[in-house]
Amino acid sequence: MKAKPKNSLFSSYPQKPELFDEVFEEGGNIKPIYEKLLYLYGEHSIKDYVNLNNKAKSSFFNQGITFQVYDEEKTQEKIFPFDLFPRIIDPREWDIIESGAIQRSRALNLFLQDIYHDKKIIKDKIVPLELLASSANYLHQMMDVDPPGGIYNHISGTDVIKHADGNYYVLEDNIRCPSGVSYVICNRTALKRALFGVFNHYNTYTVTDYAENLLQILESVKPHGVDNPNCVVITPGMFNSAYYEHSYLAKAMGVELVEGRDLFVENNFVYMKTINGPEKVDVIYRRIDDAFLDPLEFRPDSTLGVPGLFAAYRKGNVCLANAPGTGVADDKAVYTYMPEIIKYYLDENPILNNVHTYHCSRPDELKYVLEHVDELVVKPVDEAGGYGISIGNKLSKSEIKQVQEQIKKEPRKYVAQPILSLSVHPTYIDEKESFEQRHIDLRTFTLLGKDSEFVLRGGLTRVALQEGNLVVNSSQGGGSRDTWVLKKDD
Amino acid sequence: MYTEYAITYCAQNEYESLVKGAFWQFSIVPEENGTQELLEWKITSNLPCTQNESVNGLGFRTVHAQTKEKFTQANFKASFLVLKKSSNPFDFIPNPNPKMDYDAVESLTFKTEHETYLRKTRYTHLPNDFNTIFSFDRKKSIFENLLDLNHWVFVHLFFKVGVTQVDTPLREIIEKRHGVCQDFTHLFLAIARENHIAVRYVSGYLHQGNGYFGDSQMHAWAEAYVPRAGWIGFDPTNDILVADNHIKVCHGLDYSDCSPLKGVIYSEGGNTTSHSIEVKASQQ
Repeated sequence: MKAKPKNSLFSSYPQKPELFDEVFEEGGNIKPIYEKLLYLYGEHSIKDYVNLNNKAKSSFFNQGITFQVYDEEKTQEKIFPFDLFPRIIDPREWDIIESGAIQRSRALNLFLQDIYHDKKIIKDKIVPLELLASSANYLHQMMDVDPPGGIYNHISGTDVIKHADGNYYVLEDNIRCPSGVSYVICNRTALKRALFGVFNHYNTYTVTDYAENLLQILESVKPHGVDNPNCVVITPGMFNSAYYEHSYLAKAMGVELVEGRDLFVENNFVYMKTINGPEKVDVIYRRIDDAFLDPLEFRPDSTLGVPGLFAAYRKGNVCLANAPGTGVADDKAVYTYMPEIIKYYLDENPILNNVHTYHCSRPDELKYVLEHVDELVVKPVDEAGGYGISIGNKLSKSEIKQVQEQIKKEPRKYVAQPILSLSVHPTYIDEKESFEQRHIDLRTFTLLGKDSEFVLRGGLTRVALQEGNLVVNSSQGGGSRDTWVLKKDD
Repeated sequence: MYTEYAITYCAQNEYESLVKGAFWQFSIVPEENGTQELLEWKITSNLPCTQNESVNGLGFRTVHAQTKEKFTQANFKASFLVLKKSSNPFDFIPNPNPKMDYDAVESLTFKTEHETYLRKTRYTHLPNDFNTIFSFDRKKSIFENLLDLNHWVFVHLFFKVGVTQVDTPLREIIEKRHGVCQDFTHLFLAIARENHIAVRYVSGYLHQGNGYFGDSQMHAWAEAYVPRAGWIGFDPTNDILVADNHIKVCHGLDYSDCSPLKGVIYSEGGNTTSHSIEVKASQQ
């Protein structure tokens, strides 16, 4: 027999009043949007819930939905920690996120177009020249190259958080090879399998249409003169941390998953080796970094890429998504200029807020940062995945000293932001066998095509599993949960 | 006045173990520009291979050659016939006041447009303790300073084959004071960029009729942006300005953009490569 008391799952939920909880109001009342869900989940006891949760997790493992954590000593294969209690986003709030994400993607595309051509934004003194000159990701080989369809950042992953003030803020824009979308879809599948009934009570947008939209976007940027483009996904291989995602996307789009050795270039066209002979390839969704794309043009020791690929790209015979050299714009120092960049190219006010950022390259701001390391988040500008981040109020005195020394050594390498109070969401914690508040963010996925755009209505809610921790990246041991965007009631 | 140059380029690649396929990229075809016309050219090999024209990362013409044959020896021979129009690098009207030169290259617009060639790269980053090794004299024009620099590099380094590699660090070259044309050029570029002058690495052929250094190899020199004149070639290996005896192939940030031969070889073990170049001139 099922345990009956309503919301038994949350009977001992410790709610800290200073944190912004997504589910509960300050006094402990349930927010209206979650009321039905809590009623439905309330039919289960913690024991039932744990059973279901464990089943869902083992199904992830059995399907090989795993990722790897890089460490100095060892590399580990892990499943993405998951729990069955979804996050729900209000349709009005989603409108802001969606239009804001599109606005940023469009502005970033125009920014890339500009800095690889006339560089007007620099001549007009909106963005300093040093920002480009000092960026290792600014590829001189991309200068004056026109990517097919005029698109650089076909796929953007914009990370947003909800602050204690109830507003959304953008943490960063990932426009190299943002990953995580396959987990969005897997989380949804797992939840449907475990608790199908709850979906009957909510009008939630599907997330499984991502692959078809991605394919449409990729086809829209086909090279000139191609009617039916042949698209492929290129992966560094099965040892890459996101290999599951690469294979999932290829399968879901119905295109081939290839490695560098499966492709070759002849007469400036790219071909795939197949059992029926060579097959021309027109659009490549590449999940390998710029440096490894082509050993003739970039790192000569790269065995992951294809010799001659960049020449084929320059000749306009193949499209690479995202374009080489987009990394210059997902530099965390560029992020700080996003409000100005949006205003400059689109003549619009930013829809989503930026977090105030201090540049350690500016002497007066450097001074402030060095004096306030204990109150700030200090980030290296060119690392992804949450590596090298220090959070001031979690540091010991000697650690603070260390951080100060690091910054002083290479001020250009660091930016700092005030410590934000990310919203929290009830999260099932295995060791405690109960729900507790954990900080969350949201990675959104935006696609930009020749004349179209698409934002996945959902996204990857990432959870910092350690109590009080603010770093949610999966590579730092974060978890995730299904994320529902509700349709508006008509 | 025109000179016709017949250029022969030979490369012999020998591999320790059997190679099961290869992809080569040659950056050896003379550029066509205001003073150079490519009349005819061809590349042949001892191997059956497919050949096609392509471009490098900066858009200069390259030749891709690939083969699926198995081999241990790959020889290439290329010949080019180039018609070169004589030019005079001194043929411009300098700014009346040197200060105008510096104002021009220090404007944001100039620095933005020439950002690429002001960038310090792995090969052209002057070590900190050497950054005053040669300072520009602001009372002289940029062109005069570059002439002085050209001469200074020529005097500072001794031309010596086989003592440096492609990746020998600049520090070692400065300290040991010897090298080949690449090293002379990288040092010139590093100092010029340290002094905020936009400069680029040039790869090409040198007609050695007059006893110039350059060996029977591809030659390298620098091009610097001189206000009111544009890009002017400086050859620090020979302490001369680039004019009729230099046949340009391509330019870039440094050697890595201009390497004459790059390849991906499907084999284990090492290889040895030898190049030889011959440039013959006949006055038209």
